[in-house]
Amino acid sequence: MNRYRNWILLASLLMCASQGAYAVVNVYACEPEWASLAKELGGDLVKTGSATTGLQDVHHIEARPSVIARVRQADLLLCTGAGLEEGWLPVLQRRANNPRIQAGADGYMEAADYLRLLDRPARVDRSQGDVHAQGNPHIQLDPNNIPVIAQAIAERLQLIDPGHAARYRENLSDFLSRWQTALARWQRQARPLQGMPVVVHHNAWVYLINWLQLDLVGTLEPKPGLPPTSSHLSQLLQQMQRQPAKLIIRSPYQGARASEWLSERTGIPTIVLPATVGGNEAATDLFGLFDNIVLQLLSVTQ
Amino acid sequence: MNVEGLDSAILGPAFAAGLLVLSTHVPLGRQVLQRGIIFIDLAIAQFAGLGVIAAHVMHLDSPGYTVQLMAYGTAVLGAFLLYRCERHWPEAQEAIIGSSFIVAACSGILLLSGSPQAGEHLKELLVGQILWVGYPVLVPVAVIYAVVLLLGKFLRSHEHPLLFYLLFAVTVTASVQLVGVYLVFASLIIPALSVRNAGKRGIWFAYGLGAAGYGLGLFASALFDLPAGAVIVLSLACLGLLVAVTRTLVCLVAD
Repeated sequence: MNRYRNWILLASLLMCASQGAYAVVNVYACEPEWASLAKELGGDLVKTGSATTGLQDVHHIEARPSVIARVRQADLLLCTGAGLEEGWLPVLQRRANNPRIQAGADGYMEAADYLRLLDRPARVDRSQGDVHAQGNPHIQLDPNNIPVIAQAIAERLQLIDPGHAARYRENLSDFLSRWQTALARWQRQARPLQGMPVVVHHNAWVYLINWLQLDLVGTLEPKPGLPPTSSHLSQLLQQMQRQPAKLIIRSPYQGARASEWLSERTGIPTIVLPATVGGNEAATDLFGLFDNIVLQLLSVTQ
Repeated sequence: MNVEGLDSAILGPAFAAGLLVLSTHVPLGRQVLQRGIIFIDLAIAQFAGLGVIAAHVMHLDSPGYTVQLMAYGTAVLGAFLLYRCERHWPEAQEAIIGSSFIVAACSGILLLSGSPQAGEHLKELLVGQILWVGYPVLVPVAVIYAVVLLLGKFLRSHEHPLLFYLLFAVTVTASVQLVGVYLVFASLIIPALSVRNAGKRGIWFAYGLGAAGYGLGLFASALFDLPAGAVIVLSLACLGLLVAVTRTLVCLVAD
């Protein structure tokens, strides 16, 4: 009898696993925007966390024990991909030793796989380095990208936790309809921004610029991650005389010095835009993020 | 407070890496203090970094071992030059080491300006993070350290400056990649500093202090969820200070 009981126990355990009767799905994200999106789609069925915050440069993270612990427990790891987390994610995945979230498993998803990226180099060779060979990874800044990623995340959640598939589909359609309403509002509000000339600190804003059809006059950094050189700055100043910009955009994690230098010389205001959820106090979720970005950009036009 | 980080699978390899680093850095640190060349580890790490950048600029970056070879090569070459300087101008050695540190660092920046990508590789390599270390990574380092310790012991590196410089270069190039330059500096200087003048037995005390510092630091980093490297440096410093103060008080009472 005892033997049968063990078999029944094992069989019911297996059924639970295959039916995906998860009490809660552990979702861990590389960046806060994906954690926020997963929360929208999973609600109380998921527990979310993020390895980075909206106030830091995601190219590097400081190793904390909880980051490894969360990746060890994760059922789904959501990252941007396209080389953004190249410096730390592979070593973290190796270190966490969790087969559910290794590359290729159902529990690992790169958002960039589902989109056509901007800034893809026409020709990839070693003289240009290799990091952004796949294109610009700052995809969260075009709200048109969000529904595509939402769809993909919802599919992964259904795959991992099929017991609650109907709930995930429901949440997805609810989210998509709220997003479409918001998107229409942002596009209406942002109409006066079309063609506004801007200078950015680091080329992390291409998706936003592309969405709002802003006019990019120049970037403060000659190459991503490199401090401006004097010839680059003088070229930028000359270009701004020919083609005056209306504002300078930087992220919260970039130092204020370079943009203030340019502000002082040109009299153009600098604004600090949140690059993701948590980038400032207003950006508590993806809706708040774009609300705040549009609001701040509009404040300059008035 | 955070208990989920208190997991031997997370903290175990980091602690093992710490003990491994201490095994060579405590004895080398005593020699560094005796010679009065505290900043030599920073200079050596920077030389190794320069090698990494050079490897990248020369497009030698595909297999990992060529990068490693360049890192060890430039570190050893730099150490050899520093040894020659000590022979010729012993009184200026600390100043020469300091200057060579900034010259190597700035040469790196200039080389990088043509290839910003190498900066990422450099950070990965030289800003090692102790929590990312897994057991397999420790094996080659353990082999290198065993050779260093044996050579140092049997060839009496404290009597042969050239041997000291070369062994030091190899050791620091390995350890900087494991735990980063702050922990290398702390492991080298703090245990040795807090037990200086303690005679022969002092080295065992320094090992104990170092191990306790790493253990306590990792524990605190898990409990309060803070970056591990920085917490370990502070915990080493606190323990070192405690030991130094206690020893001074004991000496005063004994007098």
